[in-house]
Amino acid sequence: MPADAKTLATLALVFAPLSLVSVGGGSSIIAEMQHQAVAVHHWTTQREFTDLFAIARAAPGPGMLLATLIGFITAGWLGAVVVTLAFFLPSSLLMYVTVSIFNRWRGSTWHRAIEAGLAPIAIGLILAGAFAVLTTEGSGVLAWVLALAVTVFRMWRPSLHPLVLIGLGAAVFVVAHTFA
Amino acid sequence: MPAHSGDVPTARVTLLELFLLFSQLGLSSFGGAVSAWVHRAFVERRELIGEAEFAAALGLARIIPGANVVNLAVMLGHRLRGAAGAIAAGLGLILGPTLVAIALMIAYRRWGGSPGSRALLEGAAAASVGLLIAMGLAAGAYLIGIGTKSERDDVSSNRHHAPSFWSMIFFRKPVSTFRDHALWTWRNAANTALIGAVFILIGVLHFRMVPTVLVLTPASIALAYLFPLPRD
Repeated sequence: MPADAKTLATLALVFAPLSLVSVGGGSSIIAEMQHQAVAVHHWTTQREFTDLFAIARAAPGPGMLLATLIGFITAGWLGAVVVTLAFFLPSSLLMYVTVSIFNRWRGSTWHRAIEAGLAPIAIGLILAGAFAVLTTEGSGVLAWVLALAVTVFRMWRPSLHPLVLIGLGAAVFVVAHTFA
Repeated sequence: MPAHSGDVPTARVTLLELFLLFSQLGLSSFGGAVSAWVHRAFVERRELIGEAEFAAALGLARIIPGANVVNLAVMLGHRLRGAAGAIAAGLGLILGPTLVAIALMIAYRRWGGSPGSRALLEGAAAASVGLLIAMGLAAGAYLIGIGTKSERDDVSSNRHHAPSFWSMIFFRKPVSTFRDHALWTWRNAANTALIGAVFILIGVLHFRMVPTVLVLTPASIALAYLFPLPRD
């Protein structure tokens, strides 16, 4: 995989602006990322992009590692590093600046009001995100039942390690797949 | 940094701990739901951040552009250890999972994906959604007035006890207790309505997120300014 300077620069120029428009989390820019990587720059094919998406979701950590994977297949390890920096650094800096200004007012009435006002919005977005994943996943009723069972169990027995629940969930799906 | 309100002790975690903690969280969160793991570590286990503050951090992390969990890491890192903390937390979260993702991709290119392994991943993802919902409900309980609250004050005796990875995994304690007879005020009702509105408009009716949040967030903040919820 050639890692010439021009390719690296193009990768950086594509992913840095995407970083700053990914409002509401990375999933909002997947379509644009796909357009750039497949149609505009031919870094990957449509089929491989879909596979990369599945791999990024399967790997632990932030789902937006998809960007890093595109960098890796395009220009090797250097490409992965360049894309990771281009994609995560600008938004992180913006977040950092916002937070350091915000935290300077800690203890003030306004700070409390903003904190308290953001909270219900965040909770609503979390629940909306969970709902969106469950309705678009295509896994059907089983995914719903499993997710809600995990919710109940997690609240009922918070001390149980979440990996146990995830392992059980995976096992249930494999069994269902085998006998379906 | 100017004076804190003093409600949360800072610097109870070292830079190395922050880095390792976020590495561990990033690497444990198979199937997504990293923020649920962050909640578990920072609110439930270590009690470095209160429930209400965590919920606000989540909101800010979602509203500012960027990957939500990376933003959350930057915010918590900054809150606990300043600039170096933000870098340690963000790097910790990204580094390990990046290597795993690249390893997975190389393995996938060599051996391909079997239907069984796909079912495995889908099952893990569905369970992770359950973790997310549970986190949303735990973080939202205080807002809607069913009264759970992290007991960070009760653990001041643990302050000098620096738990290792493994002791954190095996260290068991109940997350929170129900306050006796919390009154369900109209403010709690308003918060419930706000949560419900965001959920229905964006999740069910597929309104665009940015304009919806741009309208509802100022309303929510104004409400919180005029009629503050009692702080525990």
